[in-house]
Amino acid sequence: MTAVARRRLVAAAASIAALIALVVLLFPLYAVIVASFETNSQLFGASRYSFFPSTWTLSNYSVVLSQQGSHLLSSLIIALGTAVLTLAIALPAAHALARYRFRVTALLVGSLLVAQILPSIVIANSLFLVYHRLHLLNSYPGLIIADASYAVPFCILVLRAFMLGLPRDVIAAARVDGASEWRAFTRVVLPMSRSAIITVVLFAFLQGWGDFIFALTLLNGNTFEPVTLSIYTYVGEFSQNWGEAMALAVFAVLPAAMLLIAAQRYIAAGLTVGSVKG
Amino acid sequence: MSQTAAPTRRVTQRSARPRTPLPGQSRLRYAVAIRWAFLAPAAAYVLFAFAIPIVYNLVLSFEQTSPATISHLTAPFAGLSNYTTTLKDPVADSAIIRTFSFTVLSLLFQFLIGFTLALLFNLRFPLRRFARSLILVPWLLPLLVTGTIFKFLFQLQAGAVNQILLDVHLIHQPIGFELSPGWAYATVLITNIWIGVPFFTVLLYSALQEVPSELIEAARIDGAGPWQRLTHVTLPVIRPVIEVVFVLGFVFTVKVFDVVIGLTNGGPANSTQLIATWAYNLSFQDFDYGAGAALNTVLLLIALVAAPLYIWLNRQSLRGDSL
Repeated sequence: MTAVARRRLVAAAASIAALIALVVLLFPLYAVIVASFETNSQLFGASRYSFFPSTWTLSNYSVVLSQQGSHLLSSLIIALGTAVLTLAIALPAAHALARYRFRVTALLVGSLLVAQILPSIVIANSLFLVYHRLHLLNSYPGLIIADASYAVPFCILVLRAFMLGLPRDVIAAARVDGASEWRAFTRVVLPMSRSAIITVVLFAFLQGWGDFIFALTLLNGNTFEPVTLSIYTYVGEFSQNWGEAMALAVFAVLPAAMLLIAAQRYIAAGLTVGSVKG
Repeated sequence: MSQTAAPTRRVTQRSARPRTPLPGQSRLRYAVAIRWAFLAPAAAYVLFAFAIPIVYNLVLSFEQTSPATISHLTAPFAGLSNYTTTLKDPVADSAIIRTFSFTVLSLLFQFLIGFTLALLFNLRFPLRRFARSLILVPWLLPLLVTGTIFKFLFQLQAGAVNQILLDVHLIHQPIGFELSPGWAYATVLITNIWIGVPFFTVLLYSALQEVPSELIEAARIDGAGPWQRLTHVTLPVIRPVIEVVFVLGFVFTVKVFDVVIGLTNGGPANSTQLIATWAYNLSFQDFDYGAGAALNTVLLLIALVAAPLYIWLNRQSLRGDSL
């Protein structure tokens, strides 16, 4: 076999293998989208599963849009709040840890690494009782503060790793020109860190959007609830409302899908930097 | 804080000079204050959202709590009773053992599948960039949504998995995945592997991209076959990344919660409870926060096993220097 023919054969075999892997990995998403257009009787207790249903309906979507609008809005508020709070905390901290040498830098970075490891259920158990005293249960601020715990350590470490790579002379030049530390930070460091900031904003947003543990423990569902909690109650112990649950799941998945398409290169680059060097 | 000690020491050295602070010194002190001001929000946050909850969890685990004690921050001292009663409970014991087996099996399969896919994407074929970005999707979904989706796929009646197995004649009767403890455990495991594979694939793929092709070529010229090139060249070169994915994978997996709640809710008959979900049950279903805190401490200790390793893998970033 010639080298060219051999290379073509490998490429063809690899394409087929990748296609099979993608079908297996993405079938659950296909199934959700299809199910969201089916009636509950097609989905629950039917005699067989149909990979491509003969009848389609939009009724799940009309129910979800009329009943779940407020929950989708709650999820959006929580996700945006988590992203904003995370940035407000992480940006200055990352700048300080990258630019200045504290004697305790190793200690601070080490404690952020440990914070990344802590299981959320441990934090939720304590926060429930603390929040009960502080009257932060069933409140947006309380939930957003809790949700930021997924993102703050990771985002500080990713931003710091990125900021360490920025040219020091540019920041020093701004300081010599009379810019204050704060001005140098906002006018020089932040614009240069744009791609890393996009990565961490997306990360924090998705964490706030997808949170379930803190919503389950710190909300009682009487004031507001995010879509993760709604999906859970749709198909919990007492109801099997699959059609609407799947339509709501499509909405719950949308931000991740859209962000992936819009900012794919940032996500892939950011995750790699964050996980290996963070 | 040790940074602020520097200017004061200088003052004592110049004791002959007037004691009033020089403008330069106050500016230095101001500069140091600014540095700490940048860190203040993060420090306050870490204290409130991590340090206090962890310490408070430890305190709770030694207290006799009940729904009545919620309105107070403290409850009567209970000694070790939360630990002894919780750990004597067979459900908690099996949840701890299950968390171990679940973590080991998850990581093993995530690595095997992820590494195979990484090797696949490392080959040249059309649309591989497109395929590689699509593969990230499962990892970005809210975990509870993933759990719910798989609950739907593994249904007894009209479930997609049963339908596929029936259609290819692997089975003749649909399997009650949610009804048998063994199958329920398998479904949670499969779901968790599905979630983790993209993460392993992407990180291992980017490691494979960094392996110098001259190294592989040299091994080929020396007569090494594909398997030898893999085990003697590629794997040793990417070992640091393999260590990182295993440590991060361990950290993700020991605290799995959403997937179990969405998929099986710990059932049937508590056969899929992991430490995190059982601790949740104790605290938020039985309202025994002390017992939940005791089990949480066990989870915390297991998770923290990874801490020294994780810090060591990130040792470069502990230094202030550029990476």
